[in-house]
Amino acid sequence: MAAKPGAATPTYSPKLVGRSRLPIFKDSDLDWTRPDGRGFHQCRPALLQTGAVSSASGSAYAEFGNTKVIVSVFGPRESKKAMTYSDVGRLNCNVSYTTFASSTLGQGTDHKEYSSMLHQALEGVIIMETFPKTTVDVFALVLESGGSDLSVLISCASLALADAGIMMYDLITAVSVSCIGKSLMIDPVTEEEGCEDGSFMMTCMPSRYEITQLTITGEWTTPNINEAMQLCLDACSKLGEIMRDCLKQSTSASDE
Amino acid sequence: MVGISLGEQHFIKGGIAQDLRTDGRKRLTYRPIYVETGVIAHANGSARVKIGGTDVIASVKAEIGRPSSLQPDKGKVAVFIDCSPTAEPTFGGRGGEELSSELALALQRCLLGGKSGAGAGINLSSLLIKEGKVCWDLYIDGLVISSDGNLLDALGAAIKAALTNTAIPKVNVSAEMADDEQPEIDISDEEYLQFDTSSVPVIVTLTKVGTHYIVDATAEEESQMSSAVSISVNRVGHICGLTKRGGSGLDPSVILDMISVAKHVTETLMNKLDSDISAAEAREEES
Repeated sequence: MAAKPGAATPTYSPKLVGRSRLPIFKDSDLDWTRPDGRGFHQCRPALLQTGAVSSASGSAYAEFGNTKVIVSVFGPRESKKAMTYSDVGRLNCNVSYTTFASSTLGQGTDHKEYSSMLHQALEGVIIMETFPKTTVDVFALVLESGGSDLSVLISCASLALADAGIMMYDLITAVSVSCIGKSLMIDPVTEEEGCEDGSFMMTCMPSRYEITQLTITGEWTTPNINEAMQLCLDACSKLGEIMRDCLKQSTSASDE
Repeated sequence: MVGISLGEQHFIKGGIAQDLRTDGRKRLTYRPIYVETGVIAHANGSARVKIGGTDVIASVKAEIGRPSSLQPDKGKVAVFIDCSPTAEPTFGGRGGEELSSELALALQRCLLGGKSGAGAGINLSSLLIKEGKVCWDLYIDGLVISSDGNLLDALGAAIKAALTNTAIPKVNVSAEMADDEQPEIDISDEEYLQFDTSSVPVIVTLTKVGTHYIVDATAEEESQMSSAVSISVNRVGHICGLTKRGGSGLDPSVILDMISVAKHVTETLMNKLDSDISAAEAREEES
């Protein structure tokens, strides 16, 4: 990993502190623990680094537990010749998996839908008017898939965009929540995603307190959605602080 | 969509703000819905749904297949949507492809539920014939004939109607066979099985224009939207899927408000659709 000197960040653990909410899971559900021994409302430790790829305009590497992704941003550069004139910029996203990313072989069309979801999550936050006639390419590579891949990808991509100096309204943070039985668990790992009853993925702009993308599958009751949304918003704002710290560190390191 | 002038844009936005839309509807009123079933002879089930100027056809085809090794106890369902350029010139080439895959993904999310199968509109286990060996593969194809906004809701309704119309032949499996052998099956051409579609959710898209949101937006209104949230709700009032379109951000409280409005709207829409579908089925049997 070609990290900038001094840019190595220590591992953070976004603890959801000060939580005086009613417990959403009954005592009867507590006889099992999560595969990695975390609490239900505890995120995996996040390691974020900018400047992972030296040839790109901006790049970032993120490691959330076993999920490891690398995102590089190229541009703004000239749009393809076939494209017509546009007075706002274009965004092109591409997600790919390494062949050794997951244990199952021959994954389906997941990557194409991930690409479009990444695009949807990012397009609202980038100030496209700042680079007319040109395209920004976001290439994301999942080195190891360990659950909540998409949310890690989105957070990492926004960090890479910030590193590339693309104008944005705010950083984008994404967090997923899984619902198994009556319990909600934040930042699920692959095993949990495999047996979940419902999944909830939210991307938001933490400083503006706006949701840019939200997808829900499975069966959810309204109180569960409320609870999941609160959990995500809380985790998103904490992740946002970590990302901001990471960016500050990398700029102060390059200033020296 | 042909560009619309600034004056028209203000007219649309102003109308929505005053709860009187350009075609005289209120913000939460639907255009007339027309349902017809059994429109395609070669499919196991089919339906055509018209909502105002939007016209879509959904067909369900069933084929004998093999369950995937990851889920040996379940059948398979695939959703494909085709936005043909005949409906609108912009659907030609990549524009249509992108929209098609977006719609198919959203429908899949709404119909198939979570990984464990909770909240699924189609019970995948009911498609199983012999565990790990034989199952039904359902191919759900949607075709957009004419597009005047609100495609996702129309497709959702058409798929619900098509599934109600679907009859799958009963299959008998010969009981005696070795474990590694492909079992012999006998497809009956007299006995048919029907789906229980009461759990299939309906999709309501709330389109946000200005500070208000509307149901069943026309293409003109959709061109003025800042974002749209599609929510699928099943009969018991649980949320089975949610997708957001459009780049601009929404306040969390607005989304929660939208969800409660969608639940309220679905109750009447679900009843209306159910009666329309059964009326269409009755009409088909008569003819």
